[in-house]
Amino acid sequence: MKLTNNELIGLYRDMVYIRQFETRVQELFAAGVLPGFIHLGIGQEACMAGTCFNLVDGDIIGATHREHGVLLCRGVEGKAIMAELYGKVTGTCKGKGGSMHACGLKQGALGNNAILGPAQTIVNGFAYAHKFRKNGKVAVTMFGDGASNRGEFHEGINFASIWNLPSIYIINNNGYAISVPKSKQQKVEDLSARAAGYGIPGVQIDGNDIITVVETVSEAVKRAREGGGPSLIELKTYRWRGHFEGDPTPYRTNEELESWKKKDPIARFEKILTDQGITTKKDFGTINAEVKAKVDECQKFAEDSPWPPMSEIYTDVYYHNEGSVQQ
Amino acid sequence: MIGIIANPASGKDIRRLVAQGTVFDNMEKVNIIQRILVVLHEAGVNDIRMMPDSFHIMDSAVEALHRGLRIDVNVTELEMECEYNQGDSANAAALMKNMGAQCIITLGGDGTNRSVAKGCGDVPLIPLSTGTNNVFPKMIEGTVAGMAAAVVELDSERAYVQTRRCKRLCIYKNGELVDMALIDAVVTADRFIGARAIWEPDAIKEIFVTSARTDSIGMSAIAGYFHPISETDPKGLYIRTGVGGGFSIRAPIAPGMIQEIPIELVRELKPGERTAIHTAEGMLALDGEREVSFKKGDTVEIGLGHDGPFVVEVEQTLASAARGNFFVRRN
Repeated sequence: MKLTNNELIGLYRDMVYIRQFETRVQELFAAGVLPGFIHLGIGQEACMAGTCFNLVDGDIIGATHREHGVLLCRGVEGKAIMAELYGKVTGTCKGKGGSMHACGLKQGALGNNAILGPAQTIVNGFAYAHKFRKNGKVAVTMFGDGASNRGEFHEGINFASIWNLPSIYIINNNGYAISVPKSKQQKVEDLSARAAGYGIPGVQIDGNDIITVVETVSEAVKRAREGGGPSLIELKTYRWRGHFEGDPTPYRTNEELESWKKKDPIARFEKILTDQGITTKKDFGTINAEVKAKVDECQKFAEDSPWPPMSEIYTDVYYHNEGSVQQ
Repeated sequence: MIGIIANPASGKDIRRLVAQGTVFDNMEKVNIIQRILVVLHEAGVNDIRMMPDSFHIMDSAVEALHRGLRIDVNVTELEMECEYNQGDSANAAALMKNMGAQCIITLGGDGTNRSVAKGCGDVPLIPLSTGTNNVFPKMIEGTVAGMAAAVVELDSERAYVQTRRCKRLCIYKNGELVDMALIDAVVTADRFIGARAIWEPDAIKEIFVTSARTDSIGMSAIAGYFHPISETDPKGLYIRTGVGGGFSIRAPIAPGMIQEIPIELVRELKPGERTAIHTAEGMLALDGEREVSFKKGDTVEIGLGHDGPFVVEVEQTLASAARGNFFVRRN
């Protein structure tokens, strides 16, 4: 697969944006600024940026609460996402969804589904619409190894298979379902092997190598756009943070975490880019500074934004009684 | 002592998407290991060492044998630091060699065996195919592989064991030996290692093979469909792609994938001779996996050697043992 230098630098910028955004969210949550519950995707940047690189306008992606980065990469304004995490009225869900429901419907980003599993069936509705309209668009769902044990995964992938839908199932296999290691959740280690049971291709790749992610997802997307049907891609990766912010992670060792930090997708890509003479260390510094300024703007925008007024407390909450629910 | 190296990562790459490759589930590898262990146990082989892996293939096999057949096999995991990459296979092979292994059974593809070959020295291999485009390892039933390994272990006089030394390709970058391949080295136009496999014909610029086989798929088949060269032939083959030669070859370059490859030049490789590659910059794919990058100004040469790993000729070894009444038990 041929990638231009601009595309490569763009992928790097996307990963840095996710890392810096998530790190800022981590700091703000620890300081007590952000309400609610936060799950961070630090360490899994290549999975998100590499997947989204292959999507175009009209494609759909439904991910989980760990994939703020998917929203960023699909072009949802970072300011609106940060404001949503703050609970401000300028957020993607007017401040009522928070981290668990931030979304960008115009960008085809269904949002961070708080319940893990249902997105694996929901995207099939979009995939069916794409197929019905013969528009060449695809529907992607991104989820974890734990969600792949849920009934919705099996129901959804079977449905996608039998109807030959342009659905792409992407598992970010980070080794833990909340605190349960994969050895205690699945008899099979290779989740890609589950594809065989549904008669579709299954591939397992290094999810911390962005070029591999881009190449592999590109082929799955191409196949789906051309009517070849669904596929399953297992990305081997690791989350650097706990399942949620505040999780003391007693279920894993520091050695394990450090060994995965050595496989940092951003540092690995920096080496590839410099080895190929595409960028210099100075370029990395410039990009990181630009991204930091952008994240600063996101934070300031969120801080300066107003809270939702009390009069709006029930608006958008109940479909049939919008604005009329009595306290 | 018998060593076993099972690569948990083989048989899962992008060729399942871009071609018709099937997923080789690790549970099947566990089953194969079970069959091998049962045979070795029955033969009285008590010293078996396995490479540790992220899937704990050995533990799963031992546990299944204990639970299902009430057989407690004497097999131990090597004590080694794992990086959970292809370097583990080379390190495990070197450890097994130093511990006096009589042979090493490998489960994987050409790439797995290439890694093992870097560490196994003169210890012969019994390579079982669990990868994708396999030429080096064979489709051998695990039970049969176990039988052959038992003969190797117990035939201390070497009355029956038959081995063959394989060819290899040595990769020199700027005069330095940097890597090796057992079956093929391919010069590609790719800039990155990425998904490792090669499936786009346009990316293939030059092909070096130790054997050119018509009964295989991949680069060896491209060469084999024009100029077959067997595993035992001392020669190898070099192909440069391009429209200048006025002809092309239709060959299976991946499972279920036939592609037309334009050929510019074909030449036999002689042992000991080094051939400089023609392409200015790109990647070298070794035994099917993009591995070594080179840029303008780098000198890359590839030489054919007859100093590859030894392999156990399974069929001949078992037949020889049978003729020598190795398997006969008098009542």
